[in-house]
Amino acid sequence: MGSEDELAERLRDGDEKALRTAYERHGPAVHYLAQRLLGNRADAEDVTQLTFVAAWSGRDSFDPQRGTMLAWLLGIARRKAIDRIRAAARDDRVAETVRAQVAPPEEPERPERIVDRLVVADELGRLPAEQRRTLELAFFDDLTHPQIAAVTGLPLGTVKSHIRRGLANLRRRWEVDGAASGSRSAGPSRAL
Amino acid sequence: MQHLDPDRLVLLALSEEPEEPADTGHLAGCAACRNELDALRTVSDLAADGHDLRDLPPPPERVWQRIEAEIAAPPAPVVPLRPRRSRPRWLAPVLAAAAAAVVAVAGTVAVDRYVSRPPAETVTARATLAPLPTVPAAAGGSVRVLSDGEMRIDVRNLPLTTGFHEVWLIDPDDLTKMIAIGNLPDRPDAVLPVPAGIDMNRYRLVDVSDEPHDGDATHSGRSLLRGTLTG
Repeated sequence: MGSEDELAERLRDGDEKALRTAYERHGPAVHYLAQRLLGNRADAEDVTQLTFVAAWSGRDSFDPQRGTMLAWLLGIARRKAIDRIRAAARDDRVAETVRAQVAPPEEPERPERIVDRLVVADELGRLPAEQRRTLELAFFDDLTHPQIAAVTGLPLGTVKSHIRRGLANLRRRWEVDGAASGSRSAGPSRAL
Repeated sequence: MQHLDPDRLVLLALSEEPEEPADTGHLAGCAACRNELDALRTVSDLAADGHDLRDLPPPPERVWQRIEAEIAAPPAPVVPLRPRRSRPRWLAPVLAAAAAAVVAVAGTVAVDRYVSRPPAETVTARATLAPLPTVPAAAGGSVRVLSDGEMRIDVRNLPLTTGFHEVWLIDPDDLTKMIAIGNLPDRPDAVLPVPAGIDMNRYRLVDVSDEPHDGDATHSGRSLLRGTLTG
């Protein structure tokens, strides 16, 4: 993750191009989280904007030792989105119209779990190509180890070790960056 | 005690093979293997549910343009003194972006200073903000102007906006004369600097408006709260 360290350093030095790079790299995930949490386009775009502006003004608080840049940005976005949901709830209470009760929606996915999924998906995308491919076949296509060996032409033993190591990598990243540890990895950026 | 083989744990976590009685027996008595299996299962579930996260689309380009506009402003705290409408139209987007960022910076600084300062301050004027007829009646706020040129503004129950809330000082005798003071942050209280040299007897009507992000720095015409400053 050398390029990420370098990006963090450039960002801390106030290089606006570094913010653009971070936006290109992580903007889609931040925007996805905002959309899932807020459910409407305008608010999601606002929160995405607020997140990167806050990241810029609070760039001194990003500490790569505490977690990745993605986790830091998602932590900011989650707080911005939750602030907005609370403000909306306040407005709803004072709204004069009584909204018709619609059927209760499905249990919404918790923000923490969405963050966890984004972090794990990001790590999956960073794995060495062959490791990633075997895991994708296991996760997304539900193939067994022997089936993966047949599809990829890799020896069964190689498939096994790819999956075991790949899973270990995903797990490590999740433990460092996951929302369950968000209060730890977000650290001083909580004020943003 | 012989722990479960790491490859075996992976197969169990992926539900590729069913738990044999030998596995179950060991797991019942071994917290380490149990935790290991739990973690692997959780991560596997998270990864398997990440199918839709591959190749996420980028946010619309306008989002980046707004970010760029907000961070591109010079750091010097220059707050426009003249009413905005007297400015050439082409300048408006540039100045709006600059002012927004400056106010954001100045606001942060002001809040920091306020937090670490004893609360002995002289209020030179105050106003109670009332909602306009189109705004929910629970909305409101209050304004205090301090002798050091800061304006402390508290608002509550403002309608949500997809843009931002901006504070103005208006001449009630000529409603076309107004001065933009700054944007309200996403919290109920804000400290905004009042530009020096403003005749507060003339510009005594405080106005909070709902402004779209349209690059037009003039008042949107959608006022939410108003109140008159009195000494």
